[in-house]
Amino acid sequence: MDAVRTAIMSNRFNAIVEEASAAVYRTAHTTFVKLVQDYQCALATADGDMFAYPMMSGVNVFIGSPMRPTLDAIGRENLNPGDIVITNDPFATDGLVTHLMDITLLYPIFRDGKLIAVAWAFVHASDIGGAVPGSISPAFTEVFQEGLRLRPVKLYENGVLNVAIKSILEDNSRIPGELWGDMQAMISGLKSMDRRINELCDRYGRAAVEEGMHDVIGYAESKARAVIETIPDGVYSFSDYLEGINKGQLAYFSVTITVNGGEIEVDFSGTDPQLSAAYNLVTGATTHPYVVMCLITFILTMDPLTPRNSGILRAIHAHAPRGTVLNAVFPASGGSRAASATRAYDIIMGCLAQALPEGLGAAGAGMAGVIVVSAPDPRTGRDRVNVINTIHGGGGGRRGSDGVDGTEVRYAQRMVPVEVIEVETPIIMRTIRSVPDSRRAGKFSSGAALEMEIENTANRAVMTVRNMNRFVFAPWGFRGGEKGLLGQTLVNPGRPDERSIGKISVLEMGQGDVVRITSPTGGGFGDPLERDIKAIATDIENGMLSRERAAEAYAVIFDADGGINEPATSAERERKREHELADFNFCDERKRHDRVWPLPMRRQLACLALTFEQRIRSQLVANVHSQLLNEGSQVKPGKLKEVVDNEVMRLSGKLGRAS
Amino acid sequence: MLRIGVDIGGTFTDFCGWREGEHDVISLKVPSTPPAFENGFRQGFENLLELLSPKIGEAALVMHGTTVSTNAVIERKGPKIAFFVTKGYRDLLELQRMGVRNPLNIFENRTRPLIARSMVFEVEERLVRGGVVETPIDEAAAEASVRRAIAAGAAGYAVALLHSYADPRHEQAVARVIRRVVGDDAEVSLSSEIWPRIGEYERATLSVLNAFVRQRMNQYIGAVESYVAERLPGSQLFVTRSNGGAMAAAEARTFPVHTLLSGPASGVTAVQYLGRSLGERNILTMDMGGTSTDISLVRDGEALTSTAAEVGDFPVVMPVTGIEAIGAGGGSIATIDAGVLRIGPQSAGSYPGPACFSRGGMAPTLTDAYLLAGYLPEALLGGEMKLDRTAAERAMAPIAEALGTDTLSAAEMCITVASSNMVAGVLPYLARQGVDPEELTLLVYGGAGALQGPLLAAEIGVNRVLVPSTPSVFCALGGLVSELSNDTLETVHGVYVDGPTIASKFSVLKERAAEWLSRQAPSDRLVVEKFEYWAEMRYVGQSFQIDVRLPDSAVDSGNIAAMHEAFHKEYERIYSHADSCAAAEFVDLRMRVRGALSIPEPSSPRTSTGGKALKTMRPMRFQGEVFPEVCVYDRGRLGLNEEVRGPAVIEQPEATIIVPPGFAARVGAYGAIFMSRS
Repeated sequence: MDAVRTAIMSNRFNAIVEEASAAVYRTAHTTFVKLVQDYQCALATADGDMFAYPMMSGVNVFIGSPMRPTLDAIGRENLNPGDIVITNDPFATDGLVTHLMDITLLYPIFRDGKLIAVAWAFVHASDIGGAVPGSISPAFTEVFQEGLRLRPVKLYENGVLNVAIKSILEDNSRIPGELWGDMQAMISGLKSMDRRINELCDRYGRAAVEEGMHDVIGYAESKARAVIETIPDGVYSFSDYLEGINKGQLAYFSVTITVNGGEIEVDFSGTDPQLSAAYNLVTGATTHPYVVMCLITFILTMDPLTPRNSGILRAIHAHAPRGTVLNAVFPASGGSRAASATRAYDIIMGCLAQALPEGLGAAGAGMAGVIVVSAPDPRTGRDRVNVINTIHGGGGGRRGSDGVDGTEVRYAQRMVPVEVIEVETPIIMRTIRSVPDSRRAGKFSSGAALEMEIENTANRAVMTVRNMNRFVFAPWGFRGGEKGLLGQTLVNPGRPDERSIGKISVLEMGQGDVVRITSPTGGGFGDPLERDIKAIATDIENGMLSRERAAEAYAVIFDADGGINEPATSAERERKREHELADFNFCDERKRHDRVWPLPMRRQLACLALTFEQRIRSQLVANVHSQLLNEGSQVKPGKLKEVVDNEVMRLSGKLGRAS
Repeated sequence: MLRIGVDIGGTFTDFCGWREGEHDVISLKVPSTPPAFENGFRQGFENLLELLSPKIGEAALVMHGTTVSTNAVIERKGPKIAFFVTKGYRDLLELQRMGVRNPLNIFENRTRPLIARSMVFEVEERLVRGGVVETPIDEAAAEASVRRAIAAGAAGYAVALLHSYADPRHEQAVARVIRRVVGDDAEVSLSSEIWPRIGEYERATLSVLNAFVRQRMNQYIGAVESYVAERLPGSQLFVTRSNGGAMAAAEARTFPVHTLLSGPASGVTAVQYLGRSLGERNILTMDMGGTSTDISLVRDGEALTSTAAEVGDFPVVMPVTGIEAIGAGGGSIATIDAGVLRIGPQSAGSYPGPACFSRGGMAPTLTDAYLLAGYLPEALLGGEMKLDRTAAERAMAPIAEALGTDTLSAAEMCITVASSNMVAGVLPYLARQGVDPEELTLLVYGGAGALQGPLLAAEIGVNRVLVPSTPSVFCALGGLVSELSNDTLETVHGVYVDGPTIASKFSVLKERAAEWLSRQAPSDRLVVEKFEYWAEMRYVGQSFQIDVRLPDSAVDSGNIAAMHEAFHKEYERIYSHADSCAAAEFVDLRMRVRGALSIPEPSSPRTSTGGKALKTMRPMRFQGEVFPEVCVYDRGRLGLNEEVRGPAVIEQPEATIIVPPGFAARVGAYGAIFMSRS
């Protein structure tokens, strides 16, 4: 690796992809691109390894997405200058595409008649047909409900548009014009990358540019390995649950991480089979960046100058068994797959928390809800579907700093201003606030819960909130840190007809109805008795911590005048201090649940289910899980086998309902 | 009458002076004197007056650029401010629309607000869409809050209530309550008065920033103003602002928020001024100093305006001259990272600075590389500041060793990598603006702009480079030539407006703009008054909008079709597509007023007859090739149109200019150096 050439190529490649990403953004048509920036483009080697990925705009979860299976399937010998391949099929691309809405283009780049690179781009299409506008509903059980699916085909061949493909695309979208506009935007980005790579070859020669691609991947790899080497060698396991869309439905996520020098193995075996809900993620046979986002983030946190390319993934060997929710097979639905990626992040965080002597962070709130209101537009009177905002929850406490209030770092999205919501919809936002006393105690506390009060002023409105979570099991605290708070929703708080409704799927709102959504919070980090007294005093002064809670959670002793008595507090803390703190602090509900379902048993249920035919797995797990939970005694291997066998017979139609 | 431009930076305070009717603009530099910047100002002012020798009774218009307010925000040094907000929104400043900057840093935090939650007070009141009063303001409760604020030590007040962009009366009521309790001299900053734009967090932030820097700016400008008035009776002080214009000192003392981004904006104003005279209409600007490099665009003669600027990580949403920081400055440090040569992001800044500055810096910086590569002379500032070559060599040695080469080659490799860093910043920036580098002229200034700029031009495909005659005092010149300028705004988001309504709304804005202008300077001093109509518009149903300059004729005649036409055209220009059949709507209406004072014609220094400019020859390295005898010229001795072929170096007391291989340079109009690919 040449020290100077690698630096220059790294900068040049970055310039090329950033420029192309800016071009896509600038020329795209739809809101998903303009407002949410759900699009991206990047460059891969002819083999399919991404060597440059933009960071200034667009999504960041696909650094090093797998491109090889798609290129292998097409056959590189079948690619010619002027070809553009289109696909949105997670199954046919084995995880290059992760849900149908991400329309993806591949553009082979040639030099002197040789394929030297492949340019990639996608946009989250605002609509590709399916059962609902926008094509996404968590309740969908099969990919067919989510709209049009295109296996990799040539949209352009030798520069000539395949009009049939274009028509199929347009005829299957509710917004054909915008969709095609976004295609054009992507193509302009792809062409710009082609032109720039060729200019680079003019300047430095093809061989130097090709070597440069491998050098920058190698550079990222060596930096990533250096970070992984700081993690103590060992085997670390962790599990958690994702709440499904049906009452009582809990999907089990399990991971075992093996750190060995600069290598890290990530095994998701024991994770539940894919769900009959749109939470499934297709990740393929190699390490998919989306499920190891926590590790990528960790590497970039520890060494922010690591080049963002597939080299980061070289030292990470991830495996999710086919048929699980983290590596789903046809015909899984996956519109809301982000919920599963969130939980994959959380369980890897749980492993890092054990591996690193000082820990890393407690669990975050663990949800990314999207609030949508369908109501008459006050400007026109016509019904309109509005994405009001996203709602997350307080971040977990971290090694060295408190959690972020009302959101987690991993969700960078900005809210729509209240004034804009109130002008464009019949909604009045009564408050968006941090809830006092909601920061969970720890040496570093969690961020506060976020509370929104949403009032409908129209004669009627329908609210849906997709991807709410953490209403059953609270996020965990770390090493003495307090467990997180659950989410909560109340209709008409403080009125006679007040009612708690749990996770919202579809809610009819009458005129004047108010919904109060209180987010979950992450857990606290470290022993609350070690929290800095000054930080506690500031929390009190700012009205975020009551004296009562300070006394209870932080063992603070106050003087008669209300000030903190430091000597007395120190003594009290010394008296209360426990010297052995468990790594994780789970909520009582989870502990009760784990007493019935010890983790090895639950893992076994997931693994067992995978041995049966695909169509019954999700139901099998759900039924067995809840049946044994209701029975209430600890699950043992023999009993598990018996109940599973019975349920399999019943679900396969080979046995009637047990008498 | 004298015109004086002053620009105070962290390291130097620059001055330009001109007597109306005369030809030459005089300039000089003195060291800045933080934190008492007033002292450096006085020193330089006296030096300048010596050169200008004012006649008895002769007064001056002083255009002053300062970073006092910017520094106060960045260093978070300000008095305790109380903030009043609509009930339910006490956490507005903390939550900041929720976003965090870098989601790939596990330890990332939001910016800490300038005001603690304990100093935020909710006001019982509520406006809803259209500014309709839903809950009238509870003045008694507000008064109780004000008393609590005073008890907690409030020294200033900021107010931002929901929907106050549509109706300021509730905010004004809070201001009345504060003045009733505190007294008439209470410093109250209202969001509706500063920038009545929809979007509560950004608007509130402007009121908070204004309140936060007000005391310090009031003090500082007051001191400068009375000094100038005493020194040259009858003089008037103006302060440059973030939109590239200037305002009266009194205005700046009340609304210092407008000065927060004025420093780099002045440079761009000078670029526009010079570009106009030279007939250059599309310019990429590059201001490179010790710690950073800023770029900007002048397109079709107009500086690019941004409504998404930031200061100290706080959003500034009024229209300002759009500046982009692209990292590396002369103090950027070279390292070997996992076997790869890197320049920055660590910087030695001005202190301890590059190793060759002998201020204690030990790390190899870009400036050391310039020296070792032969680009810089052995001393700067016309010989006043000696550079320590041995120290530079010592610092660079480990890099050279790691690269397996000598220090000369290592130095040039550092410079090449620095260029490629900048390429990675500039090309995406131009792509975002939809501009092709080949259409642009690069205009370089700042201490290191003329060193690195031409090398960058060669890399990004810019074919022409311009170096002004005084690149290191360029911002002061920008101040001297700036116009009095202000923006006024009406938000019409969600309101149906037809042509005549827009015309009448603009005529109200115009009255306000004219009234503003009359408060800045006596009308007989204004050479030209210009009014520009702007709007933020979008297609119906879209969630993002663009800035559109509306033709005067369209607004004056209330011709809505012509306004829409302007929108479609601008949309097409920015996004390369537009739908002229789709309906468009207005989000806000904006008026910019410009009042021009008389300014000098750009002066051409008396040029020598040429021929004796060659000073010496030095070995240098460019793009991996060693040139054993590269000519070094004295700029002052270059004759008009005398051509210098690259590779070459042109030296002047406070700047060094690189002419890369493949480029040729000549001194042209107004003493500027033009470089182009030969």
